[in-house]
Amino acid sequence: MEAGGKGAAVAEPSWLAAFAAMALRQLLRFKAAKSRVINSLVFPLIWLVFFGLGWSAAFNFLGPMSRSLFGGLTYLQFLAPGIVIMTVFMAGFGSGLGLIWDREFGYFKEILVAPAPRSALLLGRIAGDSLAALLQGLIMAVLVTVLAGWPGVWGLLAGLAAAYVATLTSAGLGALIALSMRSPEGFQLVINLVILPMLFISGAFYPIDPLPAWLKALAYINPLYYAVDLARGVMYGVYSTPPLLDALGLALVTAGALGLAVAKFSRTYIA
Amino acid sequence: MGRGAEDYVIVAEGLRKRYDGVEALRGVSFRVRRGEVFGLLGPNGAGKTTTVGILVTLVKPSGGRAVVAGHDVAREPWEVRKRIGVVFQEPTVDRDLTAWQNLYVHGRIYGLPRRVIEERSRELMELVGLEKAMHRPLRSYSGGMIRRFEIARALLTEPMVLFMDEPTVGLDPQARAKVWEVIEELKKRGVTVFLTTHYMEEAERLCDHIAIIDHGRIIAEGSPEELKSMVGGDTLYLVAETRLDAEKLLRIASGYGEARIAEDGRVVVLVARDAPRLLPRILEEARAVGARIVETRYVRPTLNDVFLMLTGRSLRDEEGGWRDWARLHLHARRG
Ligand SMILES: Nc1ncnc2c1ncn2[C@@H]1O[C@H](COP(=O)(O)OP(=O)(O)OP(=O)(O)O)[C@@H](O)[C@H]1O
Ligand SMILES: [Mg+2]
Repeated sequence: MEAGGKGAAVAEPSWLAAFAAMALRQLLRFKAAKSRVINSLVFPLIWLVFFGLGWSAAFNFLGPMSRSLFGGLTYLQFLAPGIVIMTVFMAGFGSGLGLIWDREFGYFKEILVAPAPRSALLLGRIAGDSLAALLQGLIMAVLVTVLAGWPGVWGLLAGLAAAYVATLTSAGLGALIALSMRSPEGFQLVINLVILPMLFISGAFYPIDPLPAWLKALAYINPLYYAVDLARGVMYGVYSTPPLLDALGLALVTAGALGLAVAKFSRTYIA
Repeated sequence: MGRGAEDYVIVAEGLRKRYDGVEALRGVSFRVRRGEVFGLLGPNGAGKTTTVGILVTLVKPSGGRAVVAGHDVAREPWEVRKRIGVVFQEPTVDRDLTAWQNLYVHGRIYGLPRRVIEERSRELMELVGLEKAMHRPLRSYSGGMIRRFEIARALLTEPMVLFMDEPTVGLDPQARAKVWEVIEELKKRGVTVFLTTHYMEEAERLCDHIAIIDHGRIIAEGSPEELKSMVGGDTLYLVAETRLDAEKLLRIASGYGEARIAEDGRVVVLVARDAPRLLPRILEEARAVGARIVETRYVRPTLNDVFLMLTGRSLRDEEGGWRDWARLHLHARRG
């Protein structure tokens, strides 16, 4: 307690400890807000039930021919991996929203004034949020595979691994947008503008192969496309793009988003 | 009496800050000594928070420089951050977490081992009178408790200097008194404190050294006594038993300053410096010449008088209004 003492020992922040502390904080927050878990599952579930079961019935009416459109899968199987990816991808953006709320409620300054490397603080935060998102993804994955067909334990785990990377992508993008925005409303606006197009040209709801070239080109720069294709491949064995390419595309976009977010956060001042 | 630069925990030289259009700081300089409680006193919008922001490395100055805890805030912000504790004007806690969880995360981010965090947390929560609330979520804390908690958290790393931006703004009188007690305890322990306030009682009661800031400039600086003596002096009222006694008293009093007889001829009014030291001497002289005094009283200038003299405006007008209250509570409600 002898602050102001002569040359008192100064604690040295450690990258790993700061990273773990921020991850822990995010997980504790997640635990404290159970309603958020429910909330994040509602939208994809609605999508699965009303969109998925509806179209599934329509395609079944067409008969076995419709399967050729989905690489031999039923429509529900085709859709299931996309629903899981969508769940965690949206939860990842929630991580960016958390940054905005922290700024509104003041905690942001507590983080900014800390001596730990900014990369540890931001990546720790994203690690915590993405673990929470993964839990939501797991719940969703079990729900959808019960409906659509069991992909086996390894298929499920591999699908979740792809989903996890997708969370990191959206958390990185979310943080980047949040750090460039002044208000929660602005963030919400940009997110809405970004999320829906990304979802629709991800190949989650319909195959992108028959699409016009320019839309296909957009899909190839969409990290969600790679994530969905990868998840569908590992879960049900059907790829549009070679899996290695999927993994590479996803990894590149994710690394880029996280790198930019860290760079932005490192240059963040109050004024 | 040469003091080395190492005796100063904070050295600010010509700090400037321009927000697009607004000149918030126009060349602010001061020094803060090790172990003192330094107060930056000024009305709303004077530039207090901007000054703190620069010193704690979160606001980039447009000009000037500052050295805090031996390191330049612009060139070595990381070194500065390791050595300071900060209580911002608005709360910066995670209300969904308990006090302990907030402390633990804070300590780990600063690189403290868990054992040290546990030990110091217990001690510090006791210091601020919150030891029983350690495992309650901060959502259930009152505004005053949050303030005290933030002081404890800021001290967890044993900083070389503790920054507090308006530590009692918006608190009710009891909560304010509790925060004051904590700061007085820190003062006893020799913690260097830099605080800002627009309450002059607060500055007067807590600070060893005060700089008065207005419109981005330091307009006066010194100990509370030095500042108040700028106004010209204290006013003493000596009530004599008879008119004759009063006349004898007047002759004595005139030796110390400007004196006159007022009211019904029995009251001597003396304007002079340092009344508390003067009064016993006057009483002694009066006894020597047999002048009987029935009552004495003196009025000292306040920091408000100093501010009034320097700016023509009163600090009191700006004080403690509903605006402060609203600012804290509206903010807290969102949290
Ligand atoms: N981020 C900002 N952008 C623009 N102007 C700002 C910003 N922050 C502060 N100002 C302006 O700079 C001036 C000084 O503000 P500052 O917050 O430092 O004052 P203060 O003394 O802390 O006041 P208060 O008692 O209200 O907290 C004010 O005129 C304020 O409006
Ligand atoms: Mg302020």
